[in-house]
Amino acid sequence: MPALPPLASLAQLENSPSTDDGLPAVLEEDLRAYGCKLIHQAGILLTQKQVAVAAAQILFQRFWYVSSMKHFGVGDIGMGALFLASKLEECPIRMRDLINVYDVLLQRAAHTIGPKADTPFKYHPMSYFGTAFYDLKESLVVAEMQILKRLGFNVHVVLPYGTLINYLQVLGLIKQENACTKAWGYLNDAFQTPVYALYQIPTIVCAAILLTIRHLNISLPSEAPNCWWELFDACWEDMWNVCGYIMRLYRERPEAEQKRVLGLVSKKDVRRWLEDNVPDK
Amino acid sequence: MNYIQLEKLGEGTYANVFKGRSRTTNEIVALKEIHLDAEEGTPSTAIREISLMKELKHTNIVRLHDVIHSETKLVLIFEFCEQDLKKYMDQHGDRGALEPKVVRSFMYQLLKGTAFCHENQVLHRDLKPQNLLINRKGELKLGDFGLARAFGVPVNTFSNEVVTLWYRAPDVLLGSRTYSTSIDVWSCGCIFAEMISGVPLFRGRDNQDQLLHIMRIIGTPTDEQFAKILKDSPEITIKQYPRYPKMNLAQLLPRAEPLAIDLLEKLLKFDPAERLSASEALLHPYFTSVANPAAYNPAPGAMGPPAYNFPHPHGHQAQQHIQQQQQQQQQQQQQQHIQQQMQYGRQPMMYPPQMPQQVPMPHQMQAANPRVHPQAMNPQPFNPGSNVPYPAPYPTR
Repeated sequence: MPALPPLASLAQLENSPSTDDGLPAVLEEDLRAYGCKLIHQAGILLTQKQVAVAAAQILFQRFWYVSSMKHFGVGDIGMGALFLASKLEECPIRMRDLINVYDVLLQRAAHTIGPKADTPFKYHPMSYFGTAFYDLKESLVVAEMQILKRLGFNVHVVLPYGTLINYLQVLGLIKQENACTKAWGYLNDAFQTPVYALYQIPTIVCAAILLTIRHLNISLPSEAPNCWWELFDACWEDMWNVCGYIMRLYRERPEAEQKRVLGLVSKKDVRRWLEDNVPDK
Repeated sequence: MNYIQLEKLGEGTYANVFKGRSRTTNEIVALKEIHLDAEEGTPSTAIREISLMKELKHTNIVRLHDVIHSETKLVLIFEFCEQDLKKYMDQHGDRGALEPKVVRSFMYQLLKGTAFCHENQVLHRDLKPQNLLINRKGELKLGDFGLARAFGVPVNTFSNEVVTLWYRAPDVLLGSRTYSTSIDVWSCGCIFAEMISGVPLFRGRDNQDQLLHIMRIIGTPTDEQFAKILKDSPEITIKQYPRYPKMNLAQLLPRAEPLAIDLLEKLLKFDPAERLSASEALLHPYFTSVANPAAYNPAPGAMGPPAYNFPHPHGHQAQQHIQQQQQQQQQQQQQQHIQQQMQYGRQPMMYPPQMPQQVPMPHQMQAANPRVHPQAMNPQPFNPGSNVPYPAPYPTR
C-alpha cells in the first residue's frame, strides 16, 4: 500500500534476534536459505502461483529480523508464510494440502540425514485424523498469527518482476532471451537471501541485471557520468552488496555444512544445537 | 481490555460489531470482534482490513484506532459513526431520496475518500451504501475494507468475485481480472444515482441479469466498443446482447440537476477506460460551481440521539429496548410484505443483494437480511402527488 515496503533497520541488520540468542550468523543465513527452499518446493508441489511463493519468501525473510530461530522453527514459519501469502495474493490453499506437502518434504529431509540415507526414500503418509496432522495444523495457525502479530500486519510486499521487464526494455535487453532468463533466475534465487528485507526493489533488480551482463559479457555504459544503474536510482555500493548476497548462495560448501540445516528445521532442534555448541548461553 | 463493551450494533458473516467506550478517554468507539477459525486461520478479510486501514488516515475513511490480538479472537477498534448511508437514506430521505445539497456533500466526500484510497494504491472493491458511514457531523466515511486490496505494478490478476452485485462494474461482470480504480468509480456512480432517486439504479438478480439492467439504461456498447474492451482485458467473455439504446438519464432521474446528470454519465461509462477517475470527478463543475461542496450541516436533532453518555447507568439499556421495538416492528412489516408478495406470486426482493454464490435459501434470507427496501415495503407504482416517473420498484423482464 505504501509504495515502499518496510525494510529492516541497521540495528536489526547488525544484530538479528537469532544472533542475540547465540546462533552464528552463518548458520542463520543457511537456515533462512533452507526455509525459503522449502517454501519454494512446497509451492511447486502445490502448483501454487509464483507471486504467492515469492511473497511468502519475503515475509519469511522479514520475520527473522523481529524473531529468533530459538523460538520459532523455519519449517513452521515457512509453512505459515506460504499460507498467509496465498491468502494475500488471492489464491488460497487448503491447510491439509499444505500440511501434507510439508510433511513429505520434511520426511525426505529427515531421511537424507538419517541412518538409512543410502536406501531409497519412501513416503509414509500421516493418518487422516492422526495427532500428527492436528499438531501441524495447530502450529500452522500459530505461525500465521505470529507472523501477522510480529510484523504488525505490515504484510505488503512488492515483487520485482514487473520492474525487471521494464528495466530490460529500457536497456534494450528484452529481445535477448538468455539475458532475460538469467536475470529472472537471479531475482528468484535472491529470495533465499535477506535482500528483499534490506533493499528497495530497484536496487535488487539492478543487481540481478549487473550479474547477468557480467556473466554474459554484455557491455552497458558504466563509466561516470554515464552509468546505466543511475537511470534507476540504484547506488553502486548497495547493488554490489546485493550481488554479494546472491553469489554467496553458489559458493562451494563441504557436504557436512550443507546437510547441517536439514536437522535444524524446528525450534527444538535449534535449541538442542545451541545447548551442544554454545556452552555459555 | 481497555474498552467497555456496550450494545451490539450489528452482525456480519464473520464478525460482530459492538459499541464500546474507552476506559481511559471515555471516547465512544466501534469494536469489531472477529473470531479466529481453526479451519482457515486468520480470515483474509481481517488481514486486508487491518493491513490497509492502519495506513489510510483521512477524514472520509473510518479510522482504525487499534487492534487487540488474543488467542481466540481479534478485536478491531474503529472510530464510531452513528449510521450507514442506507439507514440514513431510509430515515432522512424522501422515500430514500436525499436533498440535492446533501447529495452533493455526500458525493463530494465519497469521491474524496475514494480518491485518497486510489492515491495510496488501494482498491476498496466493495463500495455500497451499507459500507459508507455517516457521523453526527454529517461526515461520510468509507468503511469495511474486507475486500480491499493494494495494487501496484501489475504483475498479478485479481479475484473476479468482488463488489456486491448491484454496484459491480460491467467489466467485472464480463469477467475482468485486470480491473483497477475504475471499478470503485462505477460503484460511486451507482451510489450517486441511488442518493438522488432513493432506489438502487441497477437491480439485477445475477451476473447476466445485472449486465442487462445496465445496458438497458446506459445502452449496449457498439461492436467497436466491445472490441476495444476485449483488447484491454483479454480474459473477459462477451456474448450476444440485445441492442438497447441509451436512455436519457435526466428523464430517469428528474430530480437531478443538469450538472449532476453530466457527472453521473461520466462515472457510469461502460468502458472502464472512459470513466472519470475519482480525483477528476472532484473537479467536475457539479462541485466547482458552488462555494463549498462538502458544506452540509445536519439540522440539530436530525442525526438521532447523542452517543452514550458516561456515566448515565441505564442509557444503553433504554436504547436496546428501543432497538428491540424497532426490530419487532420491522419484522412485522416484513412478514406483511412477504405475504403480500406471495399473493402476487413474486419473490420478495431483499436488501442488500448478496453475491450470487452466497445467496441463501429464501427462508434463510429472512433471518440474514432483516431489512427490506422501503420501496419494496410500500410498493407505489403511481404517485398522484407528483408526476415523477420512478424506476419500477421490481426488476422487470
